[in-house]
Amino acid sequence: MNTLWIVVLGTVFIYAAYNFYAKRIDRDIIKSDAKKATPAKMYMDGVDFMPTSRNVLYGYHFKSIAAAGPIVGPITAANLWGWAPSLAWLLIGVSLIGWVSDYSAIMVAVRNDGNSLSAISHKLIAPRTRTILFSFIFFYLLLVAGAFMGIMSSLLAARADVPFGIIMLGIMGFLAGQMLYKWKMDLVLVTGIVVVVTLAAIMLGPLGAVNAEGKLDLTQGPISSAVIGFNKAVDGITGGKAVMTVTDPTIADPRIPAPNAEGVRPSTPSYNAETKEINTLPSYLFWALFLLGFSYLAATLPIWRFAQPVNYIGFWITLLTIGFSALGAVLAPFIRPDIGAFALEAVKAQSWLPEAGKAWQPLWPMLFVTIACGSISGWHALIGSIGTARQLEYETDGLPVGGGAMFTENTLALLALVAVSIAGAGGGAGRFAAGVGSLLSVVFGSSFQLFGTALGFGAFMVIVLTVTQLIFRVMRVTLSEWVGETMPVLKNMHVSTVTSMVLTMLLVLTGTWVYLWQLFGAANQLMAALSLLIVTVWLKEQKKNPSYALWPTLFMYITTLAATLVTARNLFVTIVPQGGSAAVGAWAMIIISLLLFVTALVIGWDGYQAYQRYSKVPAKKAAAATD
Amino acid sequence: MKNGQTQSNNKPSRWQALREFLFGMIGMEFAEHAMEMRASLESLFMLGTVGDMIGVPVLPPYYSLRLLPYIVPHITTWKRRVLREREFSDEHDYHLDGL
Repeated sequence: MNTLWIVVLGTVFIYAAYNFYAKRIDRDIIKSDAKKATPAKMYMDGVDFMPTSRNVLYGYHFKSIAAAGPIVGPITAANLWGWAPSLAWLLIGVSLIGWVSDYSAIMVAVRNDGNSLSAISHKLIAPRTRTILFSFIFFYLLLVAGAFMGIMSSLLAARADVPFGIIMLGIMGFLAGQMLYKWKMDLVLVTGIVVVVTLAAIMLGPLGAVNAEGKLDLTQGPISSAVIGFNKAVDGITGGKAVMTVTDPTIADPRIPAPNAEGVRPSTPSYNAETKEINTLPSYLFWALFLLGFSYLAATLPIWRFAQPVNYIGFWITLLTIGFSALGAVLAPFIRPDIGAFALEAVKAQSWLPEAGKAWQPLWPMLFVTIACGSISGWHALIGSIGTARQLEYETDGLPVGGGAMFTENTLALLALVAVSIAGAGGGAGRFAAGVGSLLSVVFGSSFQLFGTALGFGAFMVIVLTVTQLIFRVMRVTLSEWVGETMPVLKNMHVSTVTSMVLTMLLVLTGTWVYLWQLFGAANQLMAALSLLIVTVWLKEQKKNPSYALWPTLFMYITTLAATLVTARNLFVTIVPQGGSAAVGAWAMIIISLLLFVTALVIGWDGYQAYQRYSKVPAKKAAAATD
Repeated sequence: MKNGQTQSNNKPSRWQALREFLFGMIGMEFAEHAMEMRASLESLFMLGTVGDMIGVPVLPPYYSLRLLPYIVPHITTWKRRVLREREFSDEHDYHLDGL
């Protein structure tokens, strides 16, 4: 297998699914009509409702849905099950389910006066469905914040060549906001300055960090050795001893070193190979606090001051890295076949039966929640119904915007899968960065490998961090909105932000970010199942054939319910016995997973009853009621 | 690019389509946020001057009438915006892009 095959398979699947399936559904089932007035035209208010070109909306919707999710998911899944199952789910999932969710959510909102999915569920299914959907959003945010904080803290603590670029990203974010909004400088000039400086800082992280044998040695470079010295000084606070120890039965924590040539993982200050314990050192906590500080600024300052410029810089870094990596993936089989060939195993055997005291990762249902956004995502449906649907100029734009953006996001996930599959050793983000380095070296030459890998790490961090900072912003608003009436102190944005961060850190300190990620994926996929359920009920109410949404609904619903239970079981069996704060975080996650399970059952039951209700209404009556 | 934009029968050229796609990816978030900020300030102004139209009389009608010629073009869209049923997830803070 090589990168060219992924390009060919991706092109064939996406072309066939879009032209032979999606277009048929749009034409025969939804019957989109360019002559029908859309909410953007009917309720044009100059802000939320505004007819917008489909090309603009396509870019906007794609940018809104594509970032950390489609990259982290395939990386994690490929490491757990190999590249073949991940590839199959990415291609089949997006073709039969992913585009259905994005496109249908937009079209249902368009046909319902631009109302959000939660408002439509209130009307179509039951009032409590709306409340439950809101609670899903909060848990979703908490879990994804925990998963992202965990992987970023580990990465910053483990890789001394990464922090410099991230610190510069923050500084450049401030500077960009100041230059654009206060000094009114030219956008192109500001972009040039801040993007070039941040890119240079990211790539210079490993500068000079090469030993006499030509291998990476981070103690050699001026920047990386300074970071190592700083980490040692921070660790000196406890005399180099761990603040706490945790174990990660999934071996996905970036603090666990990659196996050496003999296939044995060596002991490091952060990892005890004999006991398989991960040491939570003060430097890890420092970098976690650094990230919380970064996110705190983004959550509490005016959005133009920090969060938006950081996102803007991050966008360019991501675009350049992903763009050139994609070019490398296409060129590799022709000019560097050694790089284009897959080094990762196609299938990694995982037990279908649980073993006592061990983590259980059966392909079904866990693959389908580990890869979420690249195949299907509930978040897309929410965003689509709140934003994109209110700006659609013509109904016929719904498919190229909603479906098109989802298929394009799928290519991003495929690229992440390619990057992680061609890298030889390492785990998770490290393998992804090495893959990006290899792909960039195809374009820029072999000598670029070192800097390309640094750019891979940097881009990964940037993608995850830009999302995390916004998550905390949303969390603090959600918290003050929900609990602010009963606990007025939470209306204070600083208190609500810090509360959100404390809750998140409680989950992070379990040390098992894979479980967090899978639970986030389950929450996300449950939202997808629920949005598909709303679409199915709406189709039934409209007396249209609901099959194209009904079967994906059932598959996603059953799969994600099972996944929440498996994750709860894994936490109970592998983390709870550790005791301490890890157990507290694990119990919190178990409670969240059970809450998700129960609330999903309630929505499922309400949805089933609504479906039955609309099945009994004659076609004419339903049409009259709709008119 | 967004204001007053209409899709004519003529398809945009590929270059124009690419420009619009890039604007959607890069600039639309900025433009939307700026418009939301402007709209929130304008809403306050409109509420102060012609609030009686939606049942909130703030300014004596004399001043409202003096300002009316300048406000007339915005009244319809303002009323739509203000009187629409909203959810708290409609606010810009909820625009969690990129997941």
